[in-house]
Amino acid sequence: MNAEDRVTGKPKASRDPRASRQRLLWRFRILRLVRPSRVSDDSPAGDDSAVRRRLGFSFWLAVVWLLIMAFVAVCAPLLPMADPTKVAFSGPREPPSLDAWFGTDALGRDVFSRTMYGARISLAVGGFAIVFGMVVGGSLGIVAGYFRGRLDQAVGFVFFVLLSFPALVLAILITATFERSMLVVSLTIGILAVAPVGLLSRASTLVFAEREFVAAARVLGARNGRIIVRELLPNVVIPMGALTLLGMAVAVVAEGSLAFLGLSVAGEDAISWGKMIVDGAGLRDLQNATHVTMFPVAVMFVTVLSLNFAGDRIREYFDVKELAF
Amino acid sequence: MARFVLRRVVLLFAVLFAVTFLGFAAMNLLGDPLVNVVGVLAELDCEGIEAGTVEDTTVDAASRDCDTVAAAKAQYHLDRPVPIRYVLWLSDMATGDFGTSFQNDQPVSEVIREKLPETLILLTMAQIVSLGVAVPWGVIAAYRANRAFDRGSTVASFGLLSVPNFALGVVLLYLLALRWQIFPSAYESGSFGGLVFSLVLPAVTLGLPLAASYQRLLRTDLITTLQEDFVHMARAKGLPPMRIMFRHALRPSMFSVVTVFGVSTGALIGGSLVVEQIFGIPGIGREIVTAVVRDDFPVVLAIVMLVAVTFVVLNFLVDLLYSWLDPRVRAR
Repeated sequence: MNAEDRVTGKPKASRDPRASRQRLLWRFRILRLVRPSRVSDDSPAGDDSAVRRRLGFSFWLAVVWLLIMAFVAVCAPLLPMADPTKVAFSGPREPPSLDAWFGTDALGRDVFSRTMYGARISLAVGGFAIVFGMVVGGSLGIVAGYFRGRLDQAVGFVFFVLLSFPALVLAILITATFERSMLVVSLTIGILAVAPVGLLSRASTLVFAEREFVAAARVLGARNGRIIVRELLPNVVIPMGALTLLGMAVAVVAEGSLAFLGLSVAGEDAISWGKMIVDGAGLRDLQNATHVTMFPVAVMFVTVLSLNFAGDRIREYFDVKELAF
Repeated sequence: MARFVLRRVVLLFAVLFAVTFLGFAAMNLLGDPLVNVVGVLAELDCEGIEAGTVEDTTVDAASRDCDTVAAAKAQYHLDRPVPIRYVLWLSDMATGDFGTSFQNDQPVSEVIREKLPETLILLTMAQIVSLGVAVPWGVIAAYRANRAFDRGSTVASFGLLSVPNFALGVVLLYLLALRWQIFPSAYESGSFGGLVFSLVLPAVTLGLPLAASYQRLLRTDLITTLQEDFVHMARAKGLPPMRIMFRHALRPSMFSVVTVFGVSTGALIGGSLVVEQIFGIPGIGREIVTAVVRDDFPVVLAIVMLVAVTFVVLNFLVDLLYSWLDPRVRAR
């Protein structure tokens, strides 16, 4: 126990002895997996929020992984990898080796390069979908929340109807009726994102539209359009932006599920994690050539985990309440 | 309360109409159902043949084909405009006639009756698994909040929520059915016991991520409840901690879980499409995927409608239940 701690502890009368003892105990723990002050409910509020203001090491770890995946997705054709559609020299269902890091699949294609190429569709679709959802849903939500009245009711009804379909069922309905091109799949998942994002932006618009600066702008003679763009938008964008990564995680999983069902982007050269996983998920393949499925599963899991984790930290950082996507 | 229920019922019907019309219009306007029924014959210019403007060397065959087309049009009301077709289709649906499959002329209602039980058993088992796991898990985590177990379970539930359904299914199938061979890898319908046993893995696949999210909600609510006066009172009386947890604190902490229950059913239905595919369960989910691939539009439409309507009605009931549990909701 050091003296300095006792001194600094004293002025804060509210701190009860149990909490300070716990904090001290934590200070001397060698293995600190999770930051102690973040988890203790009874520590003073001030230093709790001070810790929350840091994003932490594991956040950056997740970001690094995401950046690597994004880099690979963009530069896949330029990287020195085997052709993901060509049959490799070593033959089908080869276990991982120095030649083919993740082994080869049932048709003898290189699983490593397929997994890396798979990041392209997953991330592109996920990214496009969430941007579409934010642009369409976000602007609908702001307009509805600002003007209220009939318009608000109509938009709210549209959101309600969109949310009335289980997400995957709505996606199937759309992909069933169109050619399954990259654009259609992205749009489909983007439409799924419209309602949740819209509800969020409407809710935060409602809060900000009541604030003094909006009233001041109106008194100064600003038109509605200007108020929405200059006063409301910058405030509403922050919580929406903070949830981007979380939304993207949902979108990546949705694309994976569609691909798993064979309803994502069609075509031989359209490689997607979901498709790779279903290709190797037959019982015999699963038994004898486990690597064909497990490597894409692992990469996809780490990617979704990173998106979720980084997204959750950002959400916490900006102190946005969680919203069910 | 009566006004509140009435308003919700009106909204319910409005949403039902919107949902069914949206689905119907999408399938009818974007695809050409006639092509699905009669195939290439849809290309035939029947009006031209009848009027004699189109010369056809095999007039007999052509007119026979035209009869087929006309019969198909009449059967599926394809000669009417879409809004009228929608009303006709809706009244058919209301009387239990869901149309016939393009693929094998089987009535869709029969298809659904055949496949629905498997899916219902699966969904029920998934909810049982998720609640069965989440309640003890959440109680233990909240009992010693922020200790090692709680922190560990935060990490675990975060991980569980990040596994895509199909990935979890494939991993479980590999580990428990193929590697250690605890559960059967194929669907068995011989006896009810065998059926339930073979559905354990799919139900766990669906239920575990759900359990993780239930556990998060329950834990948060329980921690709040445990700081209430009546819990201190119970503790002061010297009641055993587990009795306080289960008899006093658990019930008022279930609100969030009840709310999410309805929404989560939608996620479960979506998940069941995937899980039925992995484990080869002949249920509704597998049927709809097959129907989509084959462009069998009455089946797709009927199942989508069935699912959407169930989902809407279920959420409506949960809403009512919730407002009955907590009167403050009604005031909104």
